[in-house]
Amino acid sequence: MPPVSAEPARREREHWRSLEQRSGTTGARAFREREFPAGASEPPQGLDRRTLVQLLGATLSLAGLAACRRPVETIVPLVTPPENLVPGVAKRYATTMPFGCAGYGLVVESHEGRPTKIEGNELHPANRGSASAQMQAAILGLYDPDRSQHVLQGVAGGGASATGGEAAGENAARLAPPPAAGFERRAWSDFVAAWKALEPGYLASGGAGLAILAPAWSSPTLFRLAGALRQRFPQLRWATWEPVSEENALAGVALAAGRRLRPTYDLGAARVLLSLDADLLLGESDAVAQARGFAAGRQLATENDPMNRLWVVESALTTTGAMADHRLRLASGKVGAFALALAAQLEGAGVSVGLPSGFSAEAPAGVPARWIETLAGDLAAHPGSGLVVAGRDQPAALHALALAINGALGNVGTTVLLHEAGDLLAPSTAELDGLLDAMRGGEVSTLFVLGGNPVYDAPADFDLRSALAKVANVVHLGLAVDETAERAHWHLPEAHFLEAWGDCRAADGTASVVQPLIAPLFGGHSAVELLCLLAVGEEQSGYDAVRETWSALLPTPVGPFDFDDAFNRVLHDGLLAGSAPAPVEALRLYPLSTETLAALTADAEAAPGTLELVFRPSPATHDGRHANIAWLQELPDAVSKLTWGNAALLSPRTAARLGLENEDGARLRLDAGAAVELPVWIVPGQADETVVVHLGYGRRAAGRVGTGVGVDVYPLRRSGHLGFVAGATLEPTGRRHRIAQTQDHGTMEGRSIVREASLAEWRREPGFAREKVEIPEEGPRGEERRPADGPQWAMSVDLNVCTGCNACVLACQSENNVPVVGPEQVRRGREMHWLRVDRYFSGAPERPEVVFQPVPCMHCENAPCEQVCPVAATVHTGDGLNAMVYNRCIGSRSCSNNCPYKVRRFNFLDYAEDTPEVVKLAANPEVTVRSRGVMEKCTYCVQRIQRARVDAKMAERPLADGDVRTACQQTCPTQAIVFGDLHEPGAQVNERKRRNRNYLLLAELGVRPRTSYLARIRNPHPDLAGDPVI
Amino acid sequence: MPPSARSRLIGAGLILAAVALAAGPRGRASSRPPIRAHADMDVQPRAEAQAASAFFYDGATLRPPVAGTVARGELRDSGPYWTGLDAAGDFVATIPMAPQALDDAFRERGRRRFEIYCGPCHDRNGDGKGILFERAKTRTPSFHQDRLRQAPDGYIFGIITGGFGLMPSYAYPIPVADRWAIIAHLRELQARHATRAEGAEAGSAAQSPPGAP
Repeated sequence: MPPVSAEPARREREHWRSLEQRSGTTGARAFREREFPAGASEPPQGLDRRTLVQLLGATLSLAGLAACRRPVETIVPLVTPPENLVPGVAKRYATTMPFGCAGYGLVVESHEGRPTKIEGNELHPANRGSASAQMQAAILGLYDPDRSQHVLQGVAGGGASATGGEAAGENAARLAPPPAAGFERRAWSDFVAAWKALEPGYLASGGAGLAILAPAWSSPTLFRLAGALRQRFPQLRWATWEPVSEENALAGVALAAGRRLRPTYDLGAARVLLSLDADLLLGESDAVAQARGFAAGRQLATENDPMNRLWVVESALTTTGAMADHRLRLASGKVGAFALALAAQLEGAGVSVGLPSGFSAEAPAGVPARWIETLAGDLAAHPGSGLVVAGRDQPAALHALALAINGALGNVGTTVLLHEAGDLLAPSTAELDGLLDAMRGGEVSTLFVLGGNPVYDAPADFDLRSALAKVANVVHLGLAVDETAERAHWHLPEAHFLEAWGDCRAADGTASVVQPLIAPLFGGHSAVELLCLLAVGEEQSGYDAVRETWSALLPTPVGPFDFDDAFNRVLHDGLLAGSAPAPVEALRLYPLSTETLAALTADAEAAPGTLELVFRPSPATHDGRHANIAWLQELPDAVSKLTWGNAALLSPRTAARLGLENEDGARLRLDAGAAVELPVWIVPGQADETVVVHLGYGRRAAGRVGTGVGVDVYPLRRSGHLGFVAGATLEPTGRRHRIAQTQDHGTMEGRSIVREASLAEWRREPGFAREKVEIPEEGPRGEERRPADGPQWAMSVDLNVCTGCNACVLACQSENNVPVVGPEQVRRGREMHWLRVDRYFSGAPERPEVVFQPVPCMHCENAPCEQVCPVAATVHTGDGLNAMVYNRCIGSRSCSNNCPYKVRRFNFLDYAEDTPEVVKLAANPEVTVRSRGVMEKCTYCVQRIQRARVDAKMAERPLADGDVRTACQQTCPTQAIVFGDLHEPGAQVNERKRRNRNYLLLAELGVRPRTSYLARIRNPHPDLAGDPVI
Repeated sequence: MPPSARSRLIGAGLILAAVALAAGPRGRASSRPPIRAHADMDVQPRAEAQAASAFFYDGATLRPPVAGTVARGELRDSGPYWTGLDAAGDFVATIPMAPQALDDAFRERGRRRFEIYCGPCHDRNGDGKGILFERAKTRTPSFHQDRLRQAPDGYIFGIITGGFGLMPSYAYPIPVADRWAIIAHLRELQARHATRAEGAEAGSAAQSPPGAP
């Protein structure tokens, strides 16, 4: 053991949340010092307090007159109840969410036939029980009141009229809005008749003039029907378009391997990972499975456990970059040059990547040679357990090079798995371009748009609108009357995936069925049903079409019911076991040509004075499809903590150079072309001279939630530069914008909230996370608040694997009926999320390290909130929960004032007041919807605890560890959250709390929190001294 | 306080007083629902079990499951346990369960379910003279006849599942496992009845059973 004096001291980090907090700006200080921000107690918009009291008096008396008697409620049972339906007892159904080229396995909770909560399917390889925020928010997409409800036909001359429509058996027809101007309501049968009139002509011409524009699919049934359609109409044109897709990745693999294969990555098998501008843990496809694999290499029980190392090279600061052990800030356009330099370095180290002889590569300026050397050495030292992944926005050549590097290092087959791309309709920008040319040339007379919103999200230089104007019949199938529907001649309401039969293949080829949870709410039809009409010539139910496909996928039946049994097994499990083809074994990689590689360095340098513009799908609205889902709009971005809109994200240095500050308006222009005005938001850790914008905002026709939120940046996005483009300029407009963001909400005043160390530091100092302060053994009242009998619930959160992905926040919102408050209320600090994910920076503002920390209620044994409640509305239960009795609460907010952790949320307004009928169906019937004037907070999912207790009692067995899983724990892709009984020694939560990384938040207060944390560990390379972020 | 506001407050007070008067004297029976001054989250903006719905065309929040779907834990195959039929499509002769599962606890469960769901009409002894006979003089078939003694178990399963004549389907209240338990109890009832009948016959033939002291 070396002498103590030779040990370098553990680097004490100072953590900060925002630049304002770090620099001590008065505004941030004032925000921190007040329990509620200025004006938080004021009623909304232009009413002073006195007027409000008068109004309240009036409404009270009126309410007294009108509704002083309890309303008479009726029981409406089913006339012939189906077997196994017990009112009040939830059921669970496995289904699949199709999402571009990917498919995610879900299990949906259904109360009396109404889906209410989405979880991941524990059997499905893409989920393993977890679901991302976007997957879970699909429930609100289903119950979106702005979904289209009628078949619409455009009428010449415009003018809305509300005639026609299917009257019988239609849900809430009277609540439906009138059709958009220029449309008339029609029935589905009218559309079928209109198509039948056109059909013979197209049959005679072999389909000349007929075209399909579809989103990407990975579905056996749709693939079969698409084939049948092409057979029926050989002249048919088909284009597949996705604004955000794996097109480059598939093309890159094809370039290197010579055939079309789909890559998946087993991050769990990797010891050294390199991300080349790839947001593996949140932004990319299959991020849930990747995050789970990544976390598997970081679940550290002791300081001697092996830990993986993540190297990230990226422009925007992503959650993956936040988890990095070494991070290099580099403009997206220079990542290709960096990868070439790395390949050359590997060649020099004796790893044969297959670069052309004599090919020289130079690292981009500013990248230390030692960094590349060390990285190359680390990768070369882990043959078969390294992984290099290129981001999906990077060109195909980089994906090919990444595969070549992986092949040379022996990673193909271990961490990189390549699968035959079966049943895949892959997106293609070239196909879209060809189709639009044909449309402009008058070669297309009927165009079917089978979902998606190309008018909104097609590349700006394609000028899709002018091409659409040349088509005589545009038929649009879509969930809403969106931008594309407005330009169509027929609009057909689409059935949501939770309403329709379908099927899907996950990235590794696992086949599963999309099982409907409820009959179509608004009478929609699925793409499968519409394609049946076109390809088969007659209407067919989705169920029959899917079964027809699956008769080929399932083993040949012997008995008369064998097929049904096998099919029902697929429905029950949510996938067909063993349907994933084995990864390709013997893969021959072709050497990369000089031209291919030269393309990587082509547009690396932007003209001086211009910026690189980087487009990223929004973590909330994705490409815009989720714009009308309020849960996602209000979900704070993992890194920037922005809600309700997008911004031009800049690094502090670039913002200073341009003279821009947070919330300044700036005009973003590309070359001399289109310009949009965005607010500026400064993100520490972003690459200099880049501006990052999120797609999916500024929708014109998204609905009551999403229309007009944020700024549409698609006008700047051109084909060939879908991911990033050089040559952008940003000039201040002098206007100020107001951004709703949460980064300073609920701070704990710079106390030692997050704790972290490097692996080496941890090994030297195993107890670093423990308190340096004296922890009072007894609480302020000297009481022992832990009953000896019964379960005592507690939680442990591992900061080492939390990627800040927000899945837990959304799970909590969905499970606990947490309201959405809107941007104005978020600005006042009134967001209601029971579980918030705090993001801390440490280090220099240009090059910070990042830690995420989920903060639910701590359920203190000596809860300070309970001691100040004047009406005993917050009390302790026998099993250690700090409970809220909503009916007792008078809204004094003393509890929130006294809470050291700032986890209590107050209903300043009646957020559920004007909930549309259809949105009420999304609420969890097991949780009270709180009204105005009531305090609320995390309950440790008390309804789940009670349900598990009842289930165990019915089964006459004791509660076992894992019976109770809170919503956040259940969905966490990295299993950062564990919940259980303190009295059960073998429980996972106790195992976690015994680890030496365990610490309590503000333990010195003596409130004895039940929620504890495991400190974050970083694993920098020992040879690479200095800052881990460059 | 400006005079207008004061008068407004007084007005509000008067209205409240009127409300209190209109509420009427306490203690008198009323057919109207009780007065509720403060709703306090009583009526929830969410869909409750079996509640009325303003959204769905049939007015119910309860939605029947989509035909063909399979919930978790409700997977059924086409085997005899779920259908009562064998591979050839005939009724199974005996309960398609492992013999060791057909224990006393299983029959006891069947007895309790039988007395809840079957007893009221069929009588707890199975002689067909239940409450329906007492009140409406409508006889259900006695289980103690040769036709039903020799009927295969699958036949009885089919009748519980699908109903017969006046009898509706009991598939909803009686899960499949309980149906087989009821059949097991029914067979025991029949056997006991037969033994008793034989015993009675034997008893009338000879005054004392053979071997009796």
